Amino acid sequence: MLFAHRRAVPVAAAIAAIAALLLTTACGNGSSGSSGGVVHLSMLTGFTGPDEPSYQTLVKEFNDTHPDIQVTMTVEPWATVGQKLPASWATGQGPDLATPSSDPGSIFSYIKTNSVLPLDPAVGSGADQIDSAAFPPSVKAAFTVGGKLYAVPANMATLALYYNKDMFAAAGISTPPTTEDDLIADAKKLTIGAAGKPSQYGISLADNNTIQMWPVLQWMSGGDILDSNNCAAVNSAASVSALTTWSQLVAKDHISPVGQAGADADTLFASKKAAMEINGPWAAAGFKSAGINLGIAQVPVGSAGPVTLASTVPLMIERTTKHPAQAKTFLAWYTSKTAQEKFSQVSGFPPARTDLGNSTAGDPAVSVFAQALPHAKLYLAGQSVASQIDSDVYVPFIQKIERGAGVQSAADDAAKQINKLTGCKQN
Amino acid sequence: MSTETVTSLRATGARPPRRARGTGGRATAVRAAGAATRAGAALSWVVIGVGGLAMLVPFLWMLGVAFRTSPDLYADPARLWPVHWTLHGVRAVVDQLPFGQLILNTFVFAGGATLLLLLFDSMTAFALSRLRFRGQNAVFVLILATLMVPFQVTVVPVFLTLFHLGWLNSYQGLIIPRATSALGIFLLRQAFLSLPRELDDASRIDGAGNLTLYWRIILPNAKPALASLFIIQFAALWNDFLWPLVVTNDVHMQTLPAALTLFSSQSGVDHAALMAGAAISLAPLAIAFIALQRYFVQGVANSGIK
Amino acid sequence: MTTNRIPTAQPARRRSARRFNSAYLFIAPSLVLIAVFIAEPIVQSGWMSLHDWMVGESSHRFVGFANYTRLFHDSRFWNALRVTVVYTLVVSVGQVVLGLAIASRLRRTTWYSTLLRTAYFFPFIASLVVVGIIWKFLLDPQVGLVDAWLAAVGVSPPAWLQSTALALPTVMAVGIWKNVGFTMIVLLASMQQVPRDLYEAAALDGAGAWRQFRNVTLPALRPALLFTTVIATVNGLQLFDLVFSMTSGGPIFHTESVVMYLYQKGFVEFQMGYASAIAWVLFVIILGISAVQLRVLRYRDVD
Repeated sequence: MLFAHRRAVPVAAAIAAIAALLLTTACGNGSSGSSGGVVHLSMLTGFTGPDEPSYQTLVKEFNDTHPDIQVTMTVEPWATVGQKLPASWATGQGPDLATPSSDPGSIFSYIKTNSVLPLDPAVGSGADQIDSAAFPPSVKAAFTVGGKLYAVPANMATLALYYNKDMFAAAGISTPPTTEDDLIADAKKLTIGAAGKPSQYGISLADNNTIQMWPVLQWMSGGDILDSNNCAAVNSAASVSALTTWSQLVAKDHISPVGQAGADADTLFASKKAAMEINGPWAAAGFKSAGINLGIAQVPVGSAGPVTLASTVPLMIERTTKHPAQAKTFLAWYTSKTAQEKFSQVSGFPPARTDLGNSTAGDPAVSVFAQALPHAKLYLAGQSVASQIDSDVYVPFIQKIERGAGVQSAADDAAKQINKLTGCKQN
Repeated sequence: MSTETVTSLRATGARPPRRARGTGGRATAVRAAGAATRAGAALSWVVIGVGGLAMLVPFLWMLGVAFRTSPDLYADPARLWPVHWTLHGVRAVVDQLPFGQLILNTFVFAGGATLLLLLFDSMTAFALSRLRFRGQNAVFVLILATLMVPFQVTVVPVFLTLFHLGWLNSYQGLIIPRATSALGIFLLRQAFLSLPRELDDASRIDGAGNLTLYWRIILPNAKPALASLFIIQFAALWNDFLWPLVVTNDVHMQTLPAALTLFSSQSGVDHAALMAGAAISLAPLAIAFIALQRYFVQGVANSGIK
Repeated sequence: MTTNRIPTAQPARRRSARRFNSAYLFIAPSLVLIAVFIAEPIVQSGWMSLHDWMVGESSHRFVGFANYTRLFHDSRFWNALRVTVVYTLVVSVGQVVLGLAIASRLRRTTWYSTLLRTAYFFPFIASLVVVGIIWKFLLDPQVGLVDAWLAAVGVSPPAWLQSTALALPTVMAVGIWKNVGFTMIVLLASMQQVPRDLYEAAALDGAGAWRQFRNVTLPALRPALLFTTVIATVNGLQLFDLVFSMTSGGPIFHTESVVMYLYQKGFVEFQMGYASAIAWVLFVIILGISAVQLRVLRYRDVD
């Protein structure tokens, strides 16, 4: 499942989003019903990958333990979900529950069109309540708009360092890097071949159509893209120094190819042409089936302490659903300790709660992703112009410095554009 | 190749090289020229043959990758054909898409729109080529101008119109806005203009009205042009990707290529699924093309003549 | 007037014909469709371009020509325009010149030239999006066939779509690859209509292959050449599918066409007013170029 690599909005999704926003008439809800005291809820998600059974397991368990609420989860490709959901929700004909997109920023358009239900009345620490206090703080913040909570995390992923054990052994490196300095040294050492055209790259970095990797490199040494006032931090001293280091490593030392899309970066690692990649838990299955002797370790620690990137898929309730109480009950159970523990075990994803630290330690791969949760950050969380900052500014900016542009001046330019988009006045 | 040699011989014969003296020198020059021409011709055939291969190899490779496992592909991308076969890609496509429905939709859409288009375009082309009316030139220019409008310019207003008509997610919404095309009118007008005027005069003497003239005389005489247009339009609509996505937001109303493109665009590094999707969306037209090759080529060829 | 089989219908038809020309009934269906689904939407998008038309908001602020002023100072728009014009020029010229070269080589019908014609024509039946997907993958530096074959013959392949210098030329090459067969078939059909004795006469006059081509073939092909050029130009100026599926406009906007930029503004960022302004500028440009070409095209109507 490579959903998280798809930041670019597909044509269809974009057009349908427009469609939804244009349509404002509300009709009856045709998708849910109740018979003989049993309430049926429909749920639409985009989990078409190998992790689908994990979600279905969770839903089945809910149905088994709640005989009077029966949830049916249907799965369609993300592009299709993004295409049909806006129109069907805006017209009140959609599923009761849905994950609108793999991009957490997508919730803004649904809130703007008044298509989704605020969850606050159901929030609390009781047995049948949504325990949002246990969500990772960044997730809770991202799903809270105007003081109201609108979504719960349908899943939670963090990025870790994938490495090829055979290549490490061949280079005489016994353990994966734990610090940024080790990472840089190993990446250089594992880059083999003619200057400018290595036959093996130290690390596989992507800069477009991908889950972002470069923010992690910035965060490691205290840089960022935005500060807490929504002003650009991409040209701060820490950002510029981190980006200078890494862009030099790419441009001069060729530790990674330039200009890869997410899928290209995965292919590079899967085809044994790169020794490391920063990626999420969904990538493991594909790499294993490609025959990689795979190791997974924490993202190395830089001067700013441990950090990695988190991604989460929002799960929301349709505003016009006939059964809001039952839908909330489902969300409360879905994010409960029992359910999240179970989900983490079957899926290999970290749980979407911060209070389950040690109970998922069974599978070492799961624990790597779960252990990263406390220090994982969302990319451009809670920004209504996130996709614009990403596609119009950040992606081209990284592409420029990878190709040798001066970091300081490119960062100053990017900062100016970002401030214009966020409305920050202090430039 | 023999004609070329003859031609060059003739040319040399007609204008003998000035420097060449005596028959021996001339013969050598002729032989050298012949050899050069032959070498040039051989080279051009090599280039053109390689070019021809370059047209087909991408599709062969697509087919191969659709059935290859990832390790097989990574191990040797240079090979065209799988060593380790897998049906994983095809299965991924088939499992996720309602195939029968999609094929039905595509035929209803492409077939229905093309037939209506043939009717409307030929009517307009008939009026433009065989009748006289005020504003004739203005109408023709207007129609040609619409050929120049990028789809993206009009898509949002068109979407709103379809919504107000209640035509979203319906066959009429898919078909009717596509039931005329400037290119079709243009091509049919050219074809009708090339039919002799005597046909009109003869039928008018028999008392035939415009409708009879159009239906009984002009259309039957323009069958090749109509067939060409049918093929060109059917293929274009079959391949249309954006339009079905705009009109439908229900996967059960979508067309095969639109659904497959959506599918392919999110398959990421699942190469087999990606290429299987592409191959399946291409297959119906490719099979039709191979079976009806002559008509395809003739159809396109006709569009440029006259 | 010799037959009188339908005595009542006949005078009625003629009377009404005097009042109303039935030609209008023949053009009505097409014209209504064009009016509703093309003309009116163009006008409406013009109206939108004068507003700050953000999708999702209930009212739209009238801003006059502000969107156009902004566009005029938007360097990314000028870049997109440059990309579009370069693509259109190179691809339409390349397509016609190569199509002509191939057509003249495959003029005579033998089994192998028939086979080659089929091969050259084949890519034409695939959709641009599918072509884009296949080629993006073919050009992949790790698992692509192109680089693997180049490496096998000892050539170090460049990063086709990742290189700022090569991305646009690569997309242009794929554009030509896709449609050169179409041009070839159209020109070939035209060539085969040239009477054989014209060539024989030219040969008797001592014209070589090249002069025969220039003096006999080219003039006869004029209408077909114009037709293929116009089609290629219009397609080029509307470039979207190929870029969308191959590069998404990257790297750093080096392959971003006008329609791609319009799409980004309108359908990703929801700024419909601004996108409509881009659409209108593009529309006027295409209309201007095609007005010139139509003038030339009309040439062939005089016969």
